[in-house]
Amino acid sequence: MRRVAIVGAGITKFGVREASWKDLVQEAGKAVFDDIPNLDKKDIDSLFVGAAQPERWVFQTHVAPLVAELLGINVTRAIARTEVACASGQAAIRYAWLSIATGLSDVALVLGVEKMNTKFMNVSQSSMINVGNREFDGANGFTAPPFFALAAQRHMHDYGTTKEQLAMVRVKNAEYGSYNPYAQFQKKVTVEKVLESRMVAPPLTLFDCSAITDGAAALILASEEKARQLTDTPVWILGGVQHVDAAHTTNQMGDLSEWVALRKAAKDLYSMVGIEAKDIDIAEVHDCFTISEIIEYEELGFCRKGEGGKFIEEGESYIGGKVAVNPGGGLLSNGHPLGATGIRQAWEVVMQFRGEVPKERYVDGAEIAIAHNLSGMAQLHHLMAYSVNKPQDVKFGR
Amino acid sequence: MRELRKLRKLELPDTVPLSPILDLWDQQEPSGPDATGIYDFYRNLADGELTTTECKGCGKLLFPPVIICPYCNGNDMEWVRIPEEGELYAFTELKLGAPIIVENYAPFVIAIARFGNYPENGVQLSGMMFDVRYEDLKIGDKVKWDILEIVGPGDKARYWYYFKKV
Repeated sequence: MRRVAIVGAGITKFGVREASWKDLVQEAGKAVFDDIPNLDKKDIDSLFVGAAQPERWVFQTHVAPLVAELLGINVTRAIARTEVACASGQAAIRYAWLSIATGLSDVALVLGVEKMNTKFMNVSQSSMINVGNREFDGANGFTAPPFFALAAQRHMHDYGTTKEQLAMVRVKNAEYGSYNPYAQFQKKVTVEKVLESRMVAPPLTLFDCSAITDGAAALILASEEKARQLTDTPVWILGGVQHVDAAHTTNQMGDLSEWVALRKAAKDLYSMVGIEAKDIDIAEVHDCFTISEIIEYEELGFCRKGEGGKFIEEGESYIGGKVAVNPGGGLLSNGHPLGATGIRQAWEVVMQFRGEVPKERYVDGAEIAIAHNLSGMAQLHHLMAYSVNKPQDVKFGR
Repeated sequence: MRELRKLRKLELPDTVPLSPILDLWDQQEPSGPDATGIYDFYRNLADGELTTTECKGCGKLLFPPVIICPYCNGNDMEWVRIPEEGELYAFTELKLGAPIIVENYAPFVIAIARFGNYPENGVQLSGMMFDVRYEDLKIGDKVKWDILEIVGPGDKARYWYYFKKV
Protein backbone atom coordinates (compact mmCIF):
# COMPACT_ATOMS: atom_id res chain seq x y z
CA MET A 1 0.00 0.00 0.00
CA ARG A 2 1.11 3.57 -0.63
CA ARG A 3 1.56 6.12 2.13
CA VAL A 4 -1.06 8.88 2.14
CA ALA A 5 -0.82 12.36 3.64
CA ILE A 6 -3.11 15.28 4.27
CA VAL A 7 -1.47 18.20 2.48
CA GLY A 8 -4.11 20.89 2.76
CA ALA A 9 -6.96 21.79 5.12
CA GLY A 10 -9.62 24.48 5.17
CA ILE A 11 -12.73 25.26 7.15
CA THR A 12 -15.67 27.66 7.22
CA LYS A 13 -17.05 29.45 10.25
CA PHE A 14 -19.42 27.01 11.98
CA GLY A 15 -22.72 28.26 13.37
CA VAL A 16 -26.13 29.51 12.35
CA ARG A 17 -24.94 30.83 9.02
CA GLU A 18 -26.61 33.21 6.61
CA ALA A 19 -25.25 31.06 3.82
CA SER A 20 -26.70 28.41 1.55
CA TRP A 21 -25.45 24.83 1.31
CA LYS A 22 -23.68 25.79 -1.92
CA ASP A 23 -22.15 28.90 -0.33
CA LEU A 24 -20.68 26.68 2.42
CA VAL A 25 -19.23 24.29 -0.17
CA GLN A 26 -17.55 27.16 -2.01
CA GLU A 27 -16.23 28.74 1.20
CA ALA A 28 -14.64 25.46 2.34
CA GLY A 29 -13.25 24.88 -1.16
CA LYS A 30 -11.64 28.32 -1.26
CA ALA A 31 -10.26 27.82 2.26
CA VAL A 32 -8.50 24.58 1.31
CA PHE A 33 -7.21 25.90 -2.03
CA ASP A 34 -5.86 29.01 -0.25
CA ASP A 35 -4.15 26.69 2.23
CA ILE A 36 -2.17 24.98 -0.52
CA PRO A 37 -1.57 27.60 -3.22
CA ASN A 38 0.84 25.53 -5.31
CA LEU A 39 -1.79 22.86 -5.95
CA ASP A 40 -3.12 22.87 -9.50
CA LYS A 41 -6.80 21.89 -9.47
CA LYS A 42 -6.06 19.77 -12.56
CA ASP A 43 -4.03 17.45 -10.31
CA ILE A 44 -7.10 16.54 -8.28
CA ASP A 45 -8.36 13.27 -9.73
CA SER A 46 -10.87 12.23 -7.07
CA LEU A 47 -13.57 13.75 -4.90
CA PHE A 48 -15.30 12.42 -1.79
CA VAL A 49 -18.10 14.41 -0.19
CA GLY A 50 -19.39 13.74 3.33
CA ALA A 51 -23.02 14.79 3.61
CA ALA A 52 -25.64 13.24 5.88
CA GLN A 53 -29.06 14.54 4.90
CA PRO A 54 -28.91 17.12 2.10
CA GLU A 55 -32.07 15.53 0.67
CA ARG A 56 -34.06 16.58 3.70
CA TRP A 57 -32.41 19.82 4.75
CA VAL A 58 -31.76 21.47 1.37
CA PHE A 59 -33.73 19.12 -0.91
CA GLN A 60 -30.68 18.30 -3.01
CA THR A 61 -29.37 14.88 -3.93
CA HIS A 62 -26.49 13.73 -6.20
CA VAL A 63 -24.36 16.20 -4.27
CA ALA A 64 -20.81 15.09 -5.09
CA PRO A 65 -21.03 16.11 -8.78
CA LEU A 66 -22.54 19.42 -7.67
CA VAL A 67 -19.51 20.02 -5.43
CA ALA A 68 -17.23 19.19 -8.39
CA GLU A 69 -18.99 21.86 -10.45
CA LEU A 70 -18.96 24.47 -7.68
CA LEU A 71 -15.23 24.00 -7.13
CA GLY A 72 -14.19 23.52 -10.76
CA ILE A 73 -12.89 19.98 -10.41
CA ASN A 74 -12.84 17.41 -13.19
CA VAL A 75 -12.82 13.95 -11.62
CA THR A 76 -11.03 11.24 -13.58
CA ARG A 77 -10.65 8.48 -11.00
CA ALA A 78 -13.22 8.29 -8.21
CA ILE A 79 -16.18 10.27 -6.91
CA ALA A 80 -18.75 9.52 -4.21
CA ARG A 81 -20.83 11.05 -1.51
CA THR A 82 -20.54 9.20 1.80
CA GLU A 83 -23.37 8.85 4.30
CA VAL A 84 -23.15 7.30 7.71
CA ALA A 85 -25.14 10.00 9.52
CA CYS A 86 -22.94 11.87 12.03
CA ALA A 87 -19.79 10.15 10.78
CA SER A 88 -20.30 10.91 7.08
CA GLY A 89 -17.24 13.19 7.18
CA GLN A 90 -14.70 10.70 8.40
CA ALA A 91 -16.08 8.15 5.93
CA ALA A 92 -15.17 10.54 3.10
CA ILE A 93 -11.59 10.75 4.42
CA ARG A 94 -11.44 6.97 4.69
CA TYR A 95 -12.42 6.34 1.05
CA ALA A 96 -10.03 9.02 -0.23
CA TRP A 97 -7.25 7.41 1.82
CA LEU A 98 -8.08 3.94 0.47
CA SER A 99 -8.34 5.18 -3.09
CA ILE A 100 -4.88 6.77 -2.90
CA ALA A 101 -3.30 3.97 -0.85
CA THR A 102 -4.33 1.37 -3.38
CA GLY A 103 -3.01 3.43 -6.29
CA LEU A 104 -6.27 4.32 -8.00
CA SER A 105 -6.08 8.02 -7.10
CA ASP A 106 -3.14 10.37 -6.60
CA VAL A 107 -4.74 13.54 -5.23
CA ALA A 108 -8.22 13.70 -3.71
CA LEU A 109 -10.37 16.50 -2.41
CA VAL A 110 -12.40 15.56 0.63
CA LEU A 111 -15.19 17.91 1.61
CA GLY A 112 -17.79 17.62 4.36
CA VAL A 113 -20.79 19.90 4.54
CA GLU A 114 -24.15 20.21 6.23
CA LYS A 115 -26.73 22.99 6.21
CA MET A 116 -29.01 22.23 9.17
CA ASN A 117 -30.49 25.60 10.08
CA THR A 118 -33.25 26.28 7.60
CA LYS A 119 -36.55 28.09 7.64
CA PHE A 120 -38.15 24.70 8.33
CA MET A 121 -36.48 24.14 11.71
CA ASN A 122 -39.10 21.73 13.01
CA VAL A 123 -38.55 19.64 9.89
CA SER A 124 -34.79 19.77 10.49
CA GLN A 125 -35.27 18.60 14.08
CA SER A 126 -37.64 15.85 13.00
CA SER A 127 -35.14 14.68 10.39
CA MET A 128 -32.84 13.41 13.13
CA ILE A 129 -35.45 10.80 14.02
CA ASN A 130 -34.67 8.67 10.98
CA VAL A 131 -31.04 8.18 12.02
CA GLY A 132 -32.27 5.47 14.35
CA ASN A 133 -34.69 2.78 13.19
CA ARG A 134 -37.48 5.17 12.22
CA GLU A 135 -40.28 2.60 12.26
CA PHE A 136 -39.50 1.13 15.68
CA ASP A 137 -37.50 3.72 17.68
CA GLY A 138 -38.24 6.92 15.76
CA ALA A 139 -41.94 6.37 16.31
CA ASN A 140 -41.27 6.60 20.06
CA GLY A 141 -39.64 10.03 19.74
CA PHE A 142 -36.17 8.56 19.91
CA THR A 143 -33.95 11.36 18.55
CA ALA A 144 -30.35 11.81 19.66
CA PRO A 145 -30.86 13.81 22.91
CA PRO A 146 -33.15 11.23 24.58
CA PHE A 147 -30.91 8.36 23.55
CA PHE A 148 -27.78 9.95 24.98
CA ALA A 149 -29.78 11.01 28.05
CA LEU A 150 -30.52 7.32 28.66
CA ALA A 151 -26.82 6.48 28.19
CA ALA A 152 -26.02 9.19 30.76
CA GLN A 153 -28.64 7.95 33.20
CA ARG A 154 -27.29 4.40 32.94
CA HIS A 155 -23.66 5.51 33.30
CA MET A 156 -24.59 7.47 36.43
CA HIS A 157 -26.51 4.45 37.73
CA ASP A 158 -23.88 1.83 36.86
CA TYR A 159 -20.69 3.75 37.70
CA GLY A 160 -21.68 6.68 39.92
CA THR A 161 -20.86 9.36 37.35
CA THR A 162 -22.30 12.74 38.37
CA LYS A 163 -24.04 15.58 36.53
CA GLU A 164 -21.16 17.81 37.67
CA GLN A 165 -18.68 15.52 35.92
CA LEU A 166 -20.78 15.69 32.75
CA ALA A 167 -20.74 19.49 33.03
CA MET A 168 -16.93 19.48 33.42
CA VAL A 169 -16.62 18.10 29.88
CA ARG A 170 -18.49 21.15 28.57
CA VAL A 171 -16.37 23.48 30.71
CA LYS A 172 -13.15 22.06 29.21
CA ASN A 173 -14.40 22.09 25.64
CA ALA A 174 -15.88 25.58 26.03
CA GLU A 175 -12.53 26.84 27.27
CA TYR A 176 -10.72 25.51 24.19
CA GLY A 177 -13.58 26.63 21.96
CA SER A 178 -13.08 30.17 23.25
CA TYR A 179 -9.74 30.16 21.40
CA ASN A 180 -11.22 28.79 18.18
CA PRO A 181 -12.48 31.58 15.90
CA TYR A 182 -14.33 29.06 13.69
CA ALA A 183 -16.38 27.56 16.55
CA GLN A 184 -20.12 28.14 16.89
CA PHE A 185 -19.74 28.87 20.62
CA GLN A 186 -16.72 30.82 21.83
CA LYS A 187 -17.71 31.63 25.40
CA LYS A 188 -16.27 29.93 28.45
CA VAL A 189 -18.81 28.39 30.84
CA THR A 190 -18.86 27.20 34.44
CA VAL A 191 -20.20 23.96 35.88
CA GLU A 192 -23.05 25.95 37.49
CA LYS A 193 -23.99 27.50 34.16
CA VAL A 194 -24.17 24.08 32.50
CA LEU A 195 -26.31 22.66 35.31
CA GLU A 196 -28.64 25.68 35.26
CA SER A 197 -29.18 25.77 31.50
CA ARG A 198 -32.54 24.59 30.09
CA MET A 199 -33.33 20.93 30.49
CA VAL A 200 -33.46 19.12 27.14
CA ALA A 201 -33.87 15.52 28.32
CA PRO A 202 -32.85 14.83 31.91
CA PRO A 203 -30.10 14.46 32.98
CA LEU A 204 -28.90 16.39 29.91
CA THR A 205 -29.26 20.17 29.80
CA LEU A 206 -28.85 22.37 26.75
CA PHE A 207 -25.14 22.82 27.49
CA ASP A 208 -24.66 19.04 27.66
CA CYS A 209 -25.68 18.89 23.97
CA SER A 210 -23.94 19.90 20.76
CA ALA A 211 -25.91 22.15 18.46
CA ILE A 212 -27.71 22.20 15.13
CA THR A 213 -25.04 23.77 12.96
CA ASP A 214 -24.19 24.93 9.44
CA GLY A 215 -20.63 24.44 8.29
CA ALA A 216 -18.16 22.83 5.93
CA ALA A 217 -14.55 21.71 5.98
CA ALA A 218 -12.21 20.34 3.35
CA LEU A 219 -8.92 18.47 2.99
CA ILE A 220 -6.54 17.60 0.19
CA LEU A 221 -5.10 14.08 0.44
CA ALA A 222 -2.15 13.03 -1.67
CA SER A 223 0.13 10.07 -2.35
CA GLU A 224 3.62 10.27 -0.83
CA GLU A 225 5.12 11.30 -4.15
CA LYS A 226 2.58 14.09 -4.73
CA ALA A 227 2.71 15.15 -1.08
CA ARG A 228 6.45 15.73 -1.33
CA GLN A 229 5.87 18.10 -4.26
CA LEU A 230 3.05 19.97 -2.56
CA THR A 231 4.04 20.60 1.06
CA ASP A 232 6.79 20.50 3.68
CA THR A 233 4.30 19.76 6.45
CA PRO A 234 2.34 16.65 5.51
CA VAL A 235 0.13 14.95 8.08
CA TRP A 236 0.42 11.21 7.58
CA ILE A 237 -2.50 8.85 7.82
CA LEU A 238 -1.39 5.86 9.89
CA GLY A 239 -4.58 3.86 9.56
CA GLY A 240 -8.25 3.68 10.27
CA VAL A 241 -11.03 1.27 11.17
CA GLN A 242 -14.77 1.18 11.55
CA HIS A 243 -16.61 -1.17 13.86
CA VAL A 244 -20.32 -1.61 13.55
CA ASP A 245 -22.03 -4.41 15.46
CA ALA A 246 -25.29 -5.76 14.11
CA ALA A 247 -27.13 -3.28 16.33
CA HIS A 248 -29.25 -0.44 15.06
CA THR A 249 -32.49 -0.82 17.01
CA THR A 250 -32.90 -0.59 20.80
CA ASN A 251 -33.30 -4.36 21.19
CA GLN A 252 -29.83 -4.96 19.77
CA MET A 253 -28.07 -2.25 21.82
CA GLY A 254 -27.54 -4.19 25.04
CA ASP A 255 -26.13 -2.06 27.86
CA LEU A 256 -26.17 1.64 27.01
CA SER A 257 -23.27 2.59 29.29
CA GLU A 258 -20.91 0.28 27.47
CA TRP A 259 -19.86 0.99 23.91
CA VAL A 260 -18.41 -2.39 23.09
CA ALA A 261 -17.93 -1.63 19.38
CA LEU A 262 -15.74 1.37 20.28
CA ARG A 263 -13.65 -0.73 22.66
CA LYS A 264 -13.08 -3.26 19.87
CA ALA A 265 -12.43 -0.56 17.27
CA ALA A 266 -9.78 1.09 19.46
CA LYS A 267 -8.01 -2.19 20.09
CA ASP A 268 -8.09 -2.93 16.37
CA LEU A 269 -6.78 0.53 15.40
CA TYR A 270 -3.96 0.50 17.94
CA SER A 271 -2.87 -2.91 16.73
CA MET A 272 -3.09 -1.85 13.07
CA VAL A 273 -0.85 1.19 13.49
CA GLY A 274 1.33 -0.13 16.32
CA ILE A 275 0.45 2.29 19.11
CA GLU A 276 -1.01 2.10 22.59
CA ALA A 277 -3.52 4.46 24.17
CA LYS A 278 -0.73 6.07 26.19
CA ASP A 279 1.13 7.06 22.99
CA ILE A 280 -1.70 9.34 21.85
CA ASP A 281 -1.01 13.06 22.25
CA ILE A 282 -4.26 14.44 20.81
CA ALA A 283 -7.67 12.77 20.70
CA GLU A 284 -10.37 14.45 18.66
CA VAL A 285 -13.40 12.54 19.95
CA HIS A 286 -17.09 12.70 19.17
CA ASP A 287 -18.52 14.71 22.08
CA CYS A 288 -21.99 15.10 20.59
CA PHE A 289 -23.08 15.10 24.24
CA THR A 290 -20.98 15.44 27.39
CA ILE A 291 -21.69 11.82 28.34
CA SER A 292 -20.23 10.66 25.02
CA GLU A 293 -16.79 12.04 25.82
CA ILE A 294 -16.82 10.36 29.25
CA ILE A 295 -17.67 6.94 27.80
CA GLU A 296 -15.09 7.50 25.04
CA TYR A 297 -12.26 8.07 27.57
CA GLU A 298 -13.05 4.61 28.89
CA GLU A 299 -13.56 2.70 25.66
CA LEU A 300 -10.52 4.30 23.97
CA GLY A 301 -8.44 3.02 26.89
CA PHE A 302 -7.44 6.37 28.42
CA CYS A 303 -8.80 5.20 31.78
CA ARG A 304 -10.49 2.15 33.27
CA LYS A 305 -14.14 1.35 32.52
CA GLY A 306 -16.38 3.43 34.74
CA GLU A 307 -13.72 6.00 35.60
CA GLY A 308 -14.42 8.50 32.81
CA GLY A 309 -16.07 10.93 35.21
CA LYS A 310 -13.05 10.87 37.47
CA PHE A 311 -10.78 11.32 34.43
CA ILE A 312 -12.29 14.71 33.55
CA GLU A 313 -12.63 15.71 37.20
CA GLU A 314 -8.90 15.18 37.67
CA GLY A 315 -8.12 17.20 34.56
CA GLU A 316 -6.51 14.30 32.71
CA SER A 317 -8.14 15.21 29.38
CA TYR A 318 -6.87 18.80 29.42
CA ILE A 319 -3.76 19.85 27.52
CA GLY A 320 -0.96 18.82 29.87
CA GLY A 321 -2.96 15.88 31.24
CA LYS A 322 -2.66 12.25 30.12
CA VAL A 323 -4.08 13.06 26.68
CA ALA A 324 -5.35 16.33 25.19
CA VAL A 325 -8.96 15.59 24.30
CA ASN A 326 -10.71 17.96 21.91
CA PRO A 327 -8.25 20.87 22.11
CA GLY A 328 -10.26 22.58 19.35
CA GLY A 329 -13.41 22.65 21.50
CA GLY A 330 -15.00 19.48 20.15
CA LEU A 331 -18.53 19.22 18.84
CA LEU A 332 -19.81 20.93 21.96
CA SER A 333 -18.10 24.23 21.02
CA ASN A 334 -17.81 23.89 17.25
CA GLY A 335 -21.34 22.67 16.72
CA HIS A 336 -22.11 19.52 14.73
CA PRO A 337 -22.84 19.95 11.02
CA LEU A 338 -23.08 16.18 10.51
CA GLY A 339 -21.16 15.74 7.26
CA ALA A 340 -18.50 18.31 8.20
CA THR A 341 -17.63 17.14 11.72
CA GLY A 342 -15.27 14.30 10.77
CA ILE A 343 -13.39 16.63 8.41
CA ARG A 344 -13.26 19.36 11.05
CA GLN A 345 -11.61 16.88 13.43
CA ALA A 346 -8.89 16.16 10.85
CA TRP A 347 -8.52 19.91 10.17
CA GLU A 348 -7.87 20.43 13.89
CA VAL A 349 -5.18 17.73 13.87
CA VAL A 350 -3.49 19.34 10.85
CA MET A 351 -3.53 22.80 12.44
CA GLN A 352 -2.21 21.38 15.73
CA PHE A 353 0.66 19.50 14.06
CA ARG A 354 1.60 22.61 12.10
CA GLY A 355 1.37 24.80 15.22
CA GLU A 356 -1.18 27.05 13.53
CA VAL A 357 -3.59 27.34 16.46
CA PRO A 358 -3.69 29.92 19.28
CA LYS A 359 -1.17 29.07 22.01
CA GLU A 360 -3.95 28.62 24.61
CA ARG A 361 -5.10 25.48 22.84
CA TYR A 362 -1.82 24.34 21.30
CA VAL A 363 -0.59 20.86 22.17
CA ASP A 364 3.15 21.43 21.97
CA GLY A 365 5.22 18.58 20.59
CA ALA A 366 2.27 16.38 19.62
CA GLU A 367 3.20 13.59 17.21
CA ILE A 368 0.30 11.14 17.27
CA ALA A 369 -3.39 11.96 17.09
CA ILE A 370 -6.55 9.94 16.73
CA ALA A 371 -9.97 11.06 15.57
CA HIS A 372 -13.15 9.34 16.65
CA ASN A 373 -16.40 9.94 14.83
CA LEU A 374 -19.51 8.05 15.93
CA SER A 375 -22.87 7.67 14.30
CA GLY A 376 -26.37 6.61 15.11
CA MET A 377 -27.17 5.81 18.71
CA ALA A 378 -23.47 5.15 19.40
CA GLN A 379 -23.40 1.68 17.86
CA LEU A 380 -21.14 2.75 14.98
CA HIS A 381 -17.58 3.84 15.68
CA HIS A 382 -15.13 5.25 13.19
CA LEU A 383 -11.46 5.84 14.04
CA MET A 384 -8.45 7.28 12.20
CA ALA A 385 -4.86 7.75 13.38
CA TYR A 386 -2.58 10.54 12.17
CA SER A 387 1.08 11.39 12.73
CA VAL A 388 3.64 14.07 11.93
CA ASN A 389 6.06 11.21 11.28
CA LYS A 390 5.99 9.21 8.09
CA PRO A 391 4.93 5.62 8.87
CA GLN A 392 7.55 2.91 8.33
CA ASP A 393 5.15 0.96 6.21
CA VAL A 394 1.46 0.86 5.49
CA LYS A 395 -0.38 -2.34 6.34
CA PHE A 396 -4.02 -2.94 6.85
CA GLY A 397 -2.97 -5.94 8.96
CA ARG A 398 -5.00 -8.39 10.98
CA MET B 1 -40.14 45.58 -15.05
CA ARG B 2 -43.23 44.14 -13.42
CA GLU B 3 -44.98 47.46 -13.70
CA LEU B 4 -44.26 47.68 -17.40
CA ARG B 5 -45.55 44.33 -18.54
CA LYS B 6 -47.86 41.62 -17.35
CA LEU B 7 -45.89 38.56 -16.29
CA ARG B 8 -47.04 35.01 -16.79
CA LYS B 9 -48.01 33.43 -13.45
CA LEU B 10 -47.34 29.90 -12.21
CA GLU B 11 -49.95 29.35 -9.56
CA LEU B 12 -49.18 26.89 -6.75
CA PRO B 13 -51.46 25.45 -4.06
CA ASP B 14 -51.65 27.46 -0.83
CA THR B 15 -51.00 24.43 1.32
CA VAL B 16 -49.79 20.89 0.87
CA PRO B 17 -50.70 17.94 3.15
CA LEU B 18 -48.45 17.02 6.05
CA SER B 19 -45.42 15.54 4.40
CA PRO B 20 -45.33 11.73 4.83
CA ILE B 21 -41.69 12.03 5.89
CA LEU B 22 -42.87 13.69 9.10
CA ASP B 23 -45.47 11.04 9.90
CA LEU B 24 -43.84 8.43 12.09
CA TRP B 25 -46.48 5.71 11.69
CA ASP B 26 -46.94 5.34 7.95
CA GLN B 27 -45.61 1.86 7.22
CA GLN B 28 -48.74 -0.12 7.90
CA GLU B 29 -50.28 -1.49 4.73
CA PRO B 30 -51.12 -5.12 3.85
CA SER B 31 -50.79 -4.57 0.10
CA GLY B 32 -49.97 -2.00 -2.54
CA PRO B 33 -46.86 0.12 -2.88
CA ASP B 34 -46.60 0.70 0.91
CA ALA B 35 -46.95 -2.99 1.74
CA THR B 36 -44.80 -4.52 4.45
CA GLY B 37 -43.99 -8.19 4.90
CA ILE B 38 -44.46 -7.73 8.65
CA TYR B 39 -48.01 -6.46 8.32
CA ASP B 40 -49.10 -8.99 10.93
CA PHE B 41 -47.27 -6.87 13.50
CA TYR B 42 -49.71 -4.03 12.78
CA ARG B 43 -52.73 -6.33 12.44
CA ASN B 44 -51.91 -7.82 15.83
CA LEU B 45 -51.62 -4.33 17.35
CA ALA B 46 -55.11 -3.60 16.01
CA ASP B 47 -56.23 -6.81 17.75
CA GLY B 48 -54.69 -5.59 21.02
CA GLU B 49 -51.49 -7.64 20.95
CA LEU B 50 -47.86 -6.54 20.86
CA THR B 51 -46.06 -9.31 19.02
CA THR B 52 -42.87 -10.10 17.20
CA THR B 53 -41.31 -12.85 15.13
CA GLU B 54 -39.49 -15.89 16.43
CA CYS B 55 -37.38 -17.85 13.97
CA LYS B 56 -38.60 -21.44 13.73
CA GLY B 57 -35.21 -22.45 12.32
CA CYS B 58 -32.90 -21.30 15.11
CA GLY B 59 -35.42 -20.37 17.78
CA LYS B 60 -34.14 -16.79 18.07
CA LEU B 61 -36.62 -14.20 19.32
CA LEU B 62 -36.33 -11.24 16.96
CA PHE B 63 -37.31 -7.63 17.44
CA PRO B 64 -38.10 -5.72 15.31
CA PRO B 65 -40.06 -8.42 13.50
CA VAL B 66 -38.53 -9.45 10.17
CA ILE B 67 -39.34 -11.75 7.26
CA ILE B 68 -35.92 -13.43 7.19
CA CYS B 69 -33.79 -14.33 10.24
CA PRO B 70 -30.55 -12.29 10.33
CA TYR B 71 -28.91 -15.14 12.31
CA CYS B 72 -29.70 -18.27 10.25
CA ASN B 73 -31.34 -16.84 7.09
CA GLY B 74 -34.44 -18.96 7.79
CA ASN B 75 -37.71 -17.54 6.51
CA ASP B 76 -40.14 -19.56 8.58
CA MET B 77 -41.39 -17.23 11.28
CA GLU B 78 -43.80 -17.64 14.13
CA TRP B 79 -45.63 -14.64 15.60
CA VAL B 80 -45.28 -14.60 19.37
CA ARG B 81 -46.73 -12.32 22.02
CA ILE B 82 -44.27 -10.11 23.90
CA PRO B 83 -44.69 -10.63 27.68
CA GLU B 84 -46.95 -7.88 28.96
CA GLU B 85 -44.95 -6.90 32.02
CA GLY B 86 -41.40 -5.62 31.88
CA GLU B 87 -38.88 -3.59 33.80
CA LEU B 88 -37.66 -0.03 33.20
CA TYR B 89 -34.04 -0.09 32.07
CA ALA B 90 -33.65 3.67 31.48
CA PHE B 91 -35.84 6.70 30.88
CA THR B 92 -35.83 10.41 30.20
CA GLU B 93 -38.35 13.11 29.42
CA LEU B 94 -38.22 14.88 26.07
CA LYS B 95 -38.61 18.56 26.89
CA LEU B 96 -37.03 20.24 23.86
CA GLY B 97 -36.80 19.20 20.22
CA ALA B 98 -39.70 16.73 20.02
CA PRO B 99 -40.52 15.53 16.49
CA ILE B 100 -43.04 17.85 14.87
CA ILE B 101 -45.85 15.29 14.73
CA VAL B 102 -45.88 14.75 18.52
CA GLU B 103 -44.80 18.28 19.52
CA ASN B 104 -48.15 18.84 21.21
CA TYR B 105 -47.44 15.97 23.63
CA ALA B 106 -44.04 17.25 24.81
CA PRO B 107 -42.79 16.96 27.42
CA PHE B 108 -43.32 13.20 27.51
CA VAL B 109 -41.31 10.34 28.96
CA ILE B 110 -39.28 8.13 26.61
CA ALA B 111 -38.08 4.88 28.10
CA ILE B 112 -36.36 1.62 27.38
CA ALA B 113 -37.85 -1.40 29.09
CA ARG B 114 -36.88 -5.07 29.10
CA PHE B 115 -39.52 -7.76 28.64
CA GLY B 116 -38.88 -11.45 29.28
CA ASN B 117 -35.39 -12.73 29.99
CA TYR B 118 -33.28 -10.22 28.05
CA PRO B 119 -30.99 -10.72 26.22
CA GLU B 120 -31.22 -14.56 26.17
CA ASN B 121 -34.92 -14.83 25.56
CA GLY B 122 -36.51 -11.42 25.81
CA VAL B 123 -36.62 -8.04 24.14
CA GLN B 124 -35.48 -4.51 24.95
CA LEU B 125 -37.98 -1.98 23.59
CA SER B 126 -38.19 1.78 23.43
CA GLY B 127 -41.57 3.30 24.22
CA MET B 128 -43.39 6.48 25.15
CA MET B 129 -45.03 7.00 28.54
CA PHE B 130 -47.85 9.47 29.23
CA ASP B 131 -49.41 10.93 32.39
CA VAL B 132 -46.22 10.34 34.31
CA ARG B 133 -43.27 12.63 35.05
CA TYR B 134 -39.56 11.84 35.02
CA GLU B 135 -39.44 12.48 38.77
CA ASP B 136 -42.04 9.76 39.41
CA LEU B 137 -39.98 6.96 37.89
CA LYS B 138 -36.94 4.94 38.84
CA ILE B 139 -34.79 2.31 37.15
CA GLY B 140 -36.27 -1.11 37.78
CA ASP B 141 -39.90 0.04 37.99
CA LYS B 142 -42.41 -2.45 36.61
CA VAL B 143 -44.14 -1.34 33.43
CA LYS B 144 -46.72 -2.85 31.08
CA TRP B 145 -47.16 -2.32 27.37
CA ASP B 146 -50.57 -1.27 26.15
CA ILE B 147 -52.06 -0.35 22.78
CA LEU B 148 -52.06 3.23 21.55
CA GLU B 149 -54.56 4.38 18.96
CA ILE B 150 -53.12 6.88 16.49
CA VAL B 151 -55.82 9.37 15.50
CA GLY B 152 -55.28 11.25 12.22
CA PRO B 153 -54.06 12.64 9.96
CA GLY B 154 -56.73 11.16 7.68
CA ASP B 155 -59.36 8.55 8.50
CA LYS B 156 -57.31 5.37 8.61
CA ALA B 157 -57.27 3.69 12.02
CA ARG B 158 -53.71 3.02 13.12
CA TYR B 159 -52.27 1.43 16.25
CA TRP B 160 -48.99 1.53 18.13
CA TYR B 161 -47.93 0.68 21.69
CA TYR B 162 -46.80 2.59 24.77
CA PHE B 163 -45.65 1.81 28.30
CA LYS B 164 -47.51 2.45 31.52
CA LYS B 165 -46.31 2.16 35.07
CA VAL B 166 -47.76 -0.82 36.92
